[in-house]
Amino acid sequence: MPEESRRNRVFLVVVDDSAERAVALTYACLRVKKSGGRVALLRVLEPAGQTEWAGVGALLAQERRSEAEQLLGGLAAQVREITGGMPILLIREGDPREELLKLMAEDPRISILVLAAAPGNSGPGPLIAALTGRHANRMRVPMTIVPAGLSAEELERVT
Amino acid sequence: MQVYLPIAEMSVDAFLLVGIGFGVGWLSGLFGVGGGFLLTPALLLLGIPAPVAVASGANQVLGASTSGVIAQSRRGNVDWVMGVVLVAGGLFGSIIGIQLFAFLRGAGLVDAVVSIFYVVVLGGVGSLMVMESLRAILRRRADAPARLHQHFWMHGLPFKIRFRKSRLFISVIPPLLVGAGIGLLSAIMGVGGGFMLVPAMIYLLGIPTAVVIGTSLFQVVCVTSAVTIMSAWQLGSVDIVLTLLLLLGGVSGAQFGAQMGGRLRGEETRALLGLLVLAVAAMLFWGLIDTPDHMFTLGPG
Repeated sequence: MPEESRRNRVFLVVVDDSAERAVALTYACLRVKKSGGRVALLRVLEPAGQTEWAGVGALLAQERRSEAEQLLGGLAAQVREITGGMPILLIREGDPREELLKLMAEDPRISILVLAAAPGNSGPGPLIAALTGRHANRMRVPMTIVPAGLSAEELERVT
Repeated sequence: MQVYLPIAEMSVDAFLLVGIGFGVGWLSGLFGVGGGFLLTPALLLLGIPAPVAVASGANQVLGASTSGVIAQSRRGNVDWVMGVVLVAGGLFGSIIGIQLFAFLRGAGLVDAVVSIFYVVVLGGVGSLMVMESLRAILRRRADAPARLHQHFWMHGLPFKIRFRKSRLFISVIPPLLVGAGIGLLSAIMGVGGGFMLVPAMIYLLGIPTAVVIGTSLFQVVCVTSAVTIMSAWQLGSVDIVLTLLLLLGGVSGAQFGAQMGGRLRGEETRALLGLLVLAVAAMLFWGLIDTPDHMFTLGPG
């Protein structure tokens, strides 16, 4: 691979509220550290929905946004510690799966999607289930699924 | 098909009741509100006595809010400590409300007082809602109004507790008072009171919006069930036939409305909701000033 395009590739990590997102993030960071590229973090906000008062709805959206900014800011510091570079921060509003698919279709920078499977035996989680099942044909980039139970040493070994 | 309502002591067309249930359920699903403020006046206009109409309204809100509070608590959006304090206030307020109601019924004033409450509260709420959404429609976006200043007299009150989920350390007195006010309205008007509870929790108490919806629903569910039980027990005003018929229409209507509601734009919907609230207030106001068909009514002695 030419050095240029290797440095430009982007690992997209979805920041949801699952415990396994940390595994996906660590995997992406280690890949970047060892073989180049950048990390992108996507946080999808739940839309404010119906509220009786417009002011309440606006405040709700604003507080969700600043909470997401804080969260991504904290994770960005982690990413920088491992990879030495700042990640791309993306905040979108809507349905998580739809926004993820739309982003991958729209943003040519994204090279690979990194998701971690949920532990336990109730399936890998809704996003992986959708993107490997019914919505697999809408994927525009390859996807890496990281098993949830990987320890730090194992992550070091496989990246 | 006429059915006799044993508690309301009158005959009403069963299909009309199912239809009212459906309409109210549809609108509450569409606008994401409890619907007590629609059902109680609709029943009053049908000629159903105020105590029965109010108890049915509270019951309707209870039904509409229960699934909401379950969904919110699963996502961890309920501050239980704050919820319990609000409910404690709410129970106190609703007990006062029921006593007041019993006293007014004895004095034969209950229909007039319920209507006056509706005209004043819905008139105020409806005007504010219409004004707010007109402003937002004209500017195409709503500004988030600033919260009250971080520290004011409220924060000097004693009995402070830590509300971890709300990230607050405040006195229990303001939430108790807010809860009591809403409980009083709930008992007298047969509404859940979310219209006023949500802004009060945000702007007065400073609760983060993420937990406001779930916590307010929790308060509404507890207080409306208390109002329903107390109405049945003390006023004997819960009509099972009426409730069942309303529920039959209400459940299907709410599903239908919620599906449609997702496709509507926020501002227009809110303006419509505000107009609907004002229309209800105007109708009851007309009922207050219009010359009645029967100049005298028989009270319960």
